[in-house]
Amino acid sequence: MKIAVLTKAIPSYESSIRVDSSEKWIDESVVNYVVNESDSYALEEALQIKEQAGDDSEVVVVTLGSEANTSKVIKDGLAKGADRGLFIKNDSKTTDPLTVAKIFAENLKSENFDLVLSGLQSDDLGSGQTGVLIGELLEMSTATLAIETQVEGDKIKVKRELESGWFQWVTLPFPSSISIQSGINEPRYPSLKGIMGAKRKELNTLESTPEAQNQSFVNLFIPKNEKVTEKIVGDSDAIVAKLMDILKNRLKVI
Amino acid sequence: MLQFSIVEQVILAVFLLSGITFFLYHLLLRLKIVLKGKSDFSVDELPKRIIRVFDEVILHKKVVSGDRKSAGILHALVMYGFIFFGLITINHFGMAFGFPIFSESFRHTYFLIFGAPWAILCTIGILGLAYRRFVIKPEALGKFSSTSALVSVFIVTLMTTYLIDELHILSGAAEKFNWWLHSGVIGGFLFLIPQSKHMHLVLSPFNIFLRPFEVPNHGAIPIDMEASEEELDNLLLDLSRLSKDQALDIFTCVECGRCTEVCPANRGGGILDPKYHFILDLKNPMLESGDVNVVDKINVEAGWECTTCQACTEVCPVGNHVEKADEIRSFQVLAEGDVPQEYQKLLRNLQETGNTEGSSSSELLNELPVYTADKELVLWLGCFAKHAMDPNFVSSVRNFVKILESAGVTYGVLSNEQCSGDPANKLGDKLTYQLLMDQNVEELNKVKNVTTMCPHCVVNLQKEYKKYHEIKYEVKHHTQVISELLDEGRININPGSLEKVTYHDPCNLSRTLDEVSAPRNAIKAAAPEFFELDESGKDTLCCGAGGALWWKKDSGEGRTHLLRAEQVIESKTDTVVTGCNFCYGMMNQGIGPLTPAGQEEIKVKDVADIVAENLS
Amino acid sequence: MILVVLENQRGKIHPFSIEALVAGQKFAKNLNCDLAVLCIGEKVEELKSQAQNFKSSKLILAKHSLIDMYSADGYSKVLSDVITELSPKYVLFGHSYMVRDFVPRVSAKLNIPFVSDIISVDFNDGNPHFSKQVFNAKLATSIEISSDQALLSFQSAAFSNDDIEEGEPESEVDFNVQLSDNDIKSKSEPEFQESSTGVDLTAAELIVSVGRGIESEDNLPSMESLAEAMGAEVASSRPVVDMGWLPPYRQVGSSGQVVSPKLYFSCGVSGAIQHVVGMKGSKNILAINKDEDAPIFEIADYAVIGDVLEIVPKLTEEINNSK
Repeated sequence: MKIAVLTKAIPSYESSIRVDSSEKWIDESVVNYVVNESDSYALEEALQIKEQAGDDSEVVVVTLGSEANTSKVIKDGLAKGADRGLFIKNDSKTTDPLTVAKIFAENLKSENFDLVLSGLQSDDLGSGQTGVLIGELLEMSTATLAIETQVEGDKIKVKRELESGWFQWVTLPFPSSISIQSGINEPRYPSLKGIMGAKRKELNTLESTPEAQNQSFVNLFIPKNEKVTEKIVGDSDAIVAKLMDILKNRLKVI
Repeated sequence: MLQFSIVEQVILAVFLLSGITFFLYHLLLRLKIVLKGKSDFSVDELPKRIIRVFDEVILHKKVVSGDRKSAGILHALVMYGFIFFGLITINHFGMAFGFPIFSESFRHTYFLIFGAPWAILCTIGILGLAYRRFVIKPEALGKFSSTSALVSVFIVTLMTTYLIDELHILSGAAEKFNWWLHSGVIGGFLFLIPQSKHMHLVLSPFNIFLRPFEVPNHGAIPIDMEASEEELDNLLLDLSRLSKDQALDIFTCVECGRCTEVCPANRGGGILDPKYHFILDLKNPMLESGDVNVVDKINVEAGWECTTCQACTEVCPVGNHVEKADEIRSFQVLAEGDVPQEYQKLLRNLQETGNTEGSSSSELLNELPVYTADKELVLWLGCFAKHAMDPNFVSSVRNFVKILESAGVTYGVLSNEQCSGDPANKLGDKLTYQLLMDQNVEELNKVKNVTTMCPHCVVNLQKEYKKYHEIKYEVKHHTQVISELLDEGRININPGSLEKVTYHDPCNLSRTLDEVSAPRNAIKAAAPEFFELDESGKDTLCCGAGGALWWKKDSGEGRTHLLRAEQVIESKTDTVVTGCNFCYGMMNQGIGPLTPAGQEEIKVKDVADIVAENLS
Repeated sequence: MILVVLENQRGKIHPFSIEALVAGQKFAKNLNCDLAVLCIGEKVEELKSQAQNFKSSKLILAKHSLIDMYSADGYSKVLSDVITELSPKYVLFGHSYMVRDFVPRVSAKLNIPFVSDIISVDFNDGNPHFSKQVFNAKLATSIEISSDQALLSFQSAAFSNDDIEEGEPESEVDFNVQLSDNDIKSKSEPEFQESSTGVDLTAAELIVSVGRGIESEDNLPSMESLAEAMGAEVASSRPVVDMGWLPPYRQVGSSGQVVSPKLYFSCGVSGAIQHVVGMKGSKNILAINKDEDAPIFEIADYAVIGDVLEIVPKLTEEINNSK
């Protein structure tokens, strides 16, 4: 079975996120790029599926972006056990998910993957569409927010997470593109052998030219906080008195 | 005088020889396994070692300690009884072959002065210990031990038969029977000792002699990124092997359970049981395989609970270095890629940003002067202070700076200070550790004197790094600097208020760095009403943040910070002072929620705080 | 024309779809065009009868046995056909898990951009800009479309269902659904729950919510007493459920319940985005937290910076005394 894991390099949660001078993107020089969290879960799921299949299945870690930001993402995937890496070079700031998906689909088509796994969304732009878009473009079956997967012969069963504590099992034929919810498994840490062996694994770089986007950022800005917040201060007795006033007289809830 | 026929002599000879052979066989079997271990035994500082054997074996300092003082005294009675007795035993057998060693009168005199009193004391000792083990049944001693039961019976029999013999109570066949019973028991010991914990009789003096002085004493694991696959395989294989010291420790273990009793993880409700997980679980695997490749038999979950506080090693009366979290974690991380989820982020932060918090900048670092070659001291901040892991501690750093300035000490910070790597080292990720260590050593070897407020940093910069690199600089803990300044008269401390003040010894400072007096020197000058907590000094109870457990905050069980904070609250102190930023943070976390309603919340201070407040 | 797609939530119109309908009504007014409302797939008859209470130009029914149960294959094919036939300029949805699952299929099938999780719309004289949060809500972006059509989904509470215009559809039509077995490659099983629901927080008028700031499970009873005194339901953030202090059905957030009570009274809740998404539609938000930088204060109407463990018991006492 051939499995692709789509992995994105995104700014770490602790990084300073500042709008750059163009006002259309962030200042990348102060950012530390890390593997998108749900993509780690997707990679782990792929590796577990490969280990259970036992045969000569292949896990390929695929990423798209600029070289500087994405090289560590591929190394991380290879160190953890992916068999090879595919780096699709794109130095433009493509924000339209459909445009991104088309680049992926064009480059992955010839590989004929049985399974494409991706994190449910990336923690930078968070559209959460890429996996499904690629699935449609490559004529695959799709499912999102998988919290469990079971391969059964030529099909894959997926437990989808729904709202409010509901779930649903869906059986999909291969080829399939599935987005993975965080918490589905416990991602492994690369072993020493893995880290050192990663250097020897195959890594291919593909060039790409993105199409014109249909949706784009006009600008990026710090969200205005329009809410008028009334601060209640004092010692606890004073606070309690004020709260009583609010609850009783203003909100009329008691 | 008893007479022995040829037949009896032959039987005795065969019996004794088979006993001795059995004993030697099992002893040598174990020693053979031990010698397969990694690295060499430490035999440095011979005089210090001899004195230590005297203190711990003859003076029984570690046995008569803690909660077990009375049991320790009873054990001393048994041990001395044995020693005094042993001299006479040779005579006992010599007699059978017609070669008594001592004359009747000597034997009689010996009996009156040493023999009888010690036989009685020894009997009291063993009966007391048997009562404790079989009637009181303390939990630490574990389940019913048949060997202990046998030993108790043997010793009582031995002493009784000895007394009967010397007092000439019996005659004829009964006397002969008594003699054979006595011999049978002594021979019986030869069969009993090697396969039981009673091997400690033979091994512990040696084990105590050979015990490494460095605590902890885990070996370096240098990793060459350009190593060949074969070299890498050897390194990984090595990770599963114990050192000679560790292997000898395991055969010496007397199963007393003191290590488990003091373990903060165990006391905090965790599953870690050092006696089994770090020692006894490994014994049979070693005997079965005939080799020391048993690290993978250490319970992994227990290994992750360890705070590496070394209380277990400190308390062991037979010279064991108990803790093996370093070994099992290194094995899990490097060979298996098995790192608990909560630590993966921590390790990635270290790799990507050189600090534990994944931060890209530090306010504190920016506000302090930069080190230049003309300054006396490098002030090493450590991630905790640098990234305000407890925001209150930042003011403690400022207080230390105030002390330095008032003494006219020039200092500066290193702008490219990386994490000392302690969390990576303690978690077994030696690769990340090396990354950070190599960068730091390069910078630090350009300077001479370093001080820091974090004992974990001191341990790594000074002691751990030395295992991998040549170290040209010297590191002092800030309490040592303050204490020196005080002694040299460069600062003056006025006694402060009369509130009750106590000190919590950080485990890294008191045990690993062997420093308990410098902080006290400083605190006592500032606090006239200073008193000691239970479990203070080198017996301190770890705050719970060690072994990288600070970052394992979100789980429920095995939470050790509750224990020490609870003890501090029970002591009814007004202020608790500590010398480590992690202890400081843990106290702040524990004391708030645990203070009973109506009681005033105890103030938490660092040594620098209480000194700065009372500088004149 | 604006097309709003209504989603089924166990026999009722999903609250997010109602909000999308509010958006649709505003769009139609602003851009001066028709508003069509589509009931598709599951429980389509129930959806239709509820949709008949709201003002629209056209109510469309897309019913077929093969989409009686939701599937991404089925819904995306049928919706694509509807869009191809009606050529709406904008297709509006609530940003629900279901929409995330099938709408991107439509986007790729028809080559129409899908702008998802929109928090506000600036109509901008006929060239609307859509705002959404990025980089963990540290920043926001304004998005413009350069194609003729777009698919749009709105974050919960971007529009308020209080603003719904009641009335009735001007016309009703059945869409001729073309579907065969081959179109649906996946097989779905019925939805199920893992833990028993005791309480429907979405129906609660008053909610007292607890977060990690209450510090210990031992402090929970005093929070529950407050809820009792106020006649409120108890809810929590995810960490509290993860630690086992409360059962999962009490969880409010993106993977828990989405609530919009009259008053959301939070105790020791920090306000992480996954939680906020579940309660920002509340009419009034009152937050008590020790940390003045807690994100919850940015969306709170009343901010109490103080020790919840001290304040709550006193407040409970006062409320009980005043009864």
